[in-house]
Amino acid sequence: MIEIIQSVLLIIAAFLIIVSAIGLISLSKDTKNVVYGRIHIVGLFDIACIIAMIGLGQYLLAGIYFILAPFTAHAIANAYWKKEDRENNVDLMTVEQEVDENHPFIHPKEKMQALESENSEKLKADDRFSVTTIEIDEGE
Amino acid sequence: MDILFISKYILVIAIIILMLAVLRASAYKSTSMGLLGSSVIVNAFALVLLVGGQIYNLQFYRDISLALIFFGFVGTIAFAVTVGGEDK
Repeated sequence: MIEIIQSVLLIIAAFLIIVSAIGLISLSKDTKNVVYGRIHIVGLFDIACIIAMIGLGQYLLAGIYFILAPFTAHAIANAYWKKEDRENNVDLMTVEQEVDENHPFIHPKEKMQALESENSEKLKADDRFSVTTIEIDEGE
Repeated sequence: MDILFISKYILVIAIIILMLAVLRASAYKSTSMGLLGSSVIVNAFALVLLVGGQIYNLQFYRDISLALIFFGFVGTIAFAVTVGGEDK
């Protein structure tokens, strides 16, 4: 009787493992949030492993794996969110542009705003822009 | 043949299929996907060792399996922390 129960548990685990393998392959790369989906599918494999370990009579291993598996999934998802998830993480969506400060025509927007805001109380709207003229003597 | 023996072999075949699928899936462009794939393969190999140890009556395979599961977890967490960086 015990052997039959063990066999049923092992076959259930094998079925779940096959289902998770099909799920891992069938998710296409263009799917939105595909990495989180695959982490979710791996959770199914973890439970199948625990069922198989119980079927094999290794209860301590099953308990250890039951505790450790969610930590692994969360750590991988957290690492992906922090550094690689450009679909959802707002911090990773902005691309920092390198601005050459010595460029004669292109100036960073923050720098220009800071220059304007320094004297904004003193300057009126008409005095903000000044015109300079250069006298050129064509005779020389 | 014993039904338990057959079911153990079915489980091993299923795990091998899963390993191939995970190898295919871990070829995704992100580093986290490779980390996930390696973690799954280590755990699957630990399960195969567990089954093999029971089939051939080798007790020390269980110890190797325990070490693989535990140190695989430690390595995965360490690499995930390295990839993720520090909290702001």
